[in-house]
Amino acid sequence: MKKWILAIAVVLVLIIGMSVVGGYNSLVSLDQAVRAQWGQVENVYQRRADLVPNLVETVKGAAAFEKETYTAVAEARAQVGKVSSASLEKLAADPEAFQRFQKAQEGLGSALSRLLVVAERYPDLKATANFRDLQSQLEGTENRITVERMRFNETAQAFNTKRQSVPTVFIAGFFGNRFKEKPYFQARPGAETAPQVKF
Amino acid sequence: MVAAHSLILAVGLAVAATPNTWVTDGTGFLSPTVHQELEDRLSQHNAGSGHQVLLWIGNPQLDGSVEDWSARAFKSWGVGRKGLDDGVILFIFPGARKIRIEVGYGLEGVLTDARAARIIRDEMAPRLQGGDRDGAARAGVSGVLAVVGGVADPAPQGEQRLSLVKIILLGIAGLFFLGLLITHPSMAVFLLYSIASGVGGGRSRGGGFSGGGGRSGGGGATGSW
Repeated sequence: MKKWILAIAVVLVLIIGMSVVGGYNSLVSLDQAVRAQWGQVENVYQRRADLVPNLVETVKGAAAFEKETYTAVAEARAQVGKVSSASLEKLAADPEAFQRFQKAQEGLGSALSRLLVVAERYPDLKATANFRDLQSQLEGTENRITVERMRFNETAQAFNTKRQSVPTVFIAGFFGNRFKEKPYFQARPGAETAPQVKF
Repeated sequence: MVAAHSLILAVGLAVAATPNTWVTDGTGFLSPTVHQELEDRLSQHNAGSGHQVLLWIGNPQLDGSVEDWSARAFKSWGVGRKGLDDGVILFIFPGARKIRIEVGYGLEGVLTDARAARIIRDEMAPRLQGGDRDGAARAGVSGVLAVVGGVADPAPQGEQRLSLVKIILLGIAGLFFLGLLITHPSMAVFLLYSIASGVGGGRSRGGGFSGGGGRSGGGGATGSW
């Protein structure tokens, strides 16, 4: 009789152990997917930041006296530099930090679109091949940002859904900070569609 | 989990069906000769370089921006080889008077946003403004192929390994079939028949397009005329 109880106990422990391992592993792989996607998001934001000096130089060449616009771009760029050193773990742990990150990036986005509005006033500048190329690079990069942010939200949602379902929620709770819920990017107010730089 | 699934479903439903030809023209935009000419060129290009370049013309229900729709279509069709992500789609939306070139991750370095924009702005838009649809499509395809064509093909090693595995698998299948022929001749004949008809079905598709699992991230350019 005792032998039977022992055997059942062993089988139960095995089953529970296996489901814990399975739940843990699936959380790990979803977590890795979110990190990889976060890397993509950082990548495209970096790409935009790298465009700034070239774009400013080009516009300056034709419109040297639009000082405020350049200062605004430089400030927004510096702000982005400050927030983007934070890792995803830090941002996920602190919703306010994530908000700041998002705000700084949006700040740079709108400073750049103002710069292009200024450029609009200079037909000679608009006609140069260099400016046109930079303009299409900026458009492409803004579009990449939209795409990668959307994909980040999708992978974050997959992770969060798994993290909150039974029985994974117990496993996630057991590991505490290792599996924090992932934050989402909020749609920019009044921007349901992809942000477009208008000319 | 339910939410995640419905999200994926919604994304899957929102774009058009995966094309099985290199050129898709749902609106009678191209003349039949140019349609065939471009189909042949894109098919040959795929055979030569391995890159998948599609021309897709239609007026889909655009729920958001052209860019958003194009990125989702690219993802759902899986244009380009998996891992290399070397696909390109040239979209023409006659209803919206828009052109979009969506570039796979692997070709972003060659077909840059600026180059894609130049193809649209300098090659395609002026022709469309002049009413030359065939010329515009031809110029767009030529422009994309000229830029993309120069890339060396990094795939042969993987393909060689694949063919070795294929040979071993075929050998095992052959031995199994021989055994079956001796023990159960009628079943072997039936098997042979169903395999033969399956292969025939696959061949009739010819050199058409089928997605390789490539991805894009919104790179490329959009323009209008």
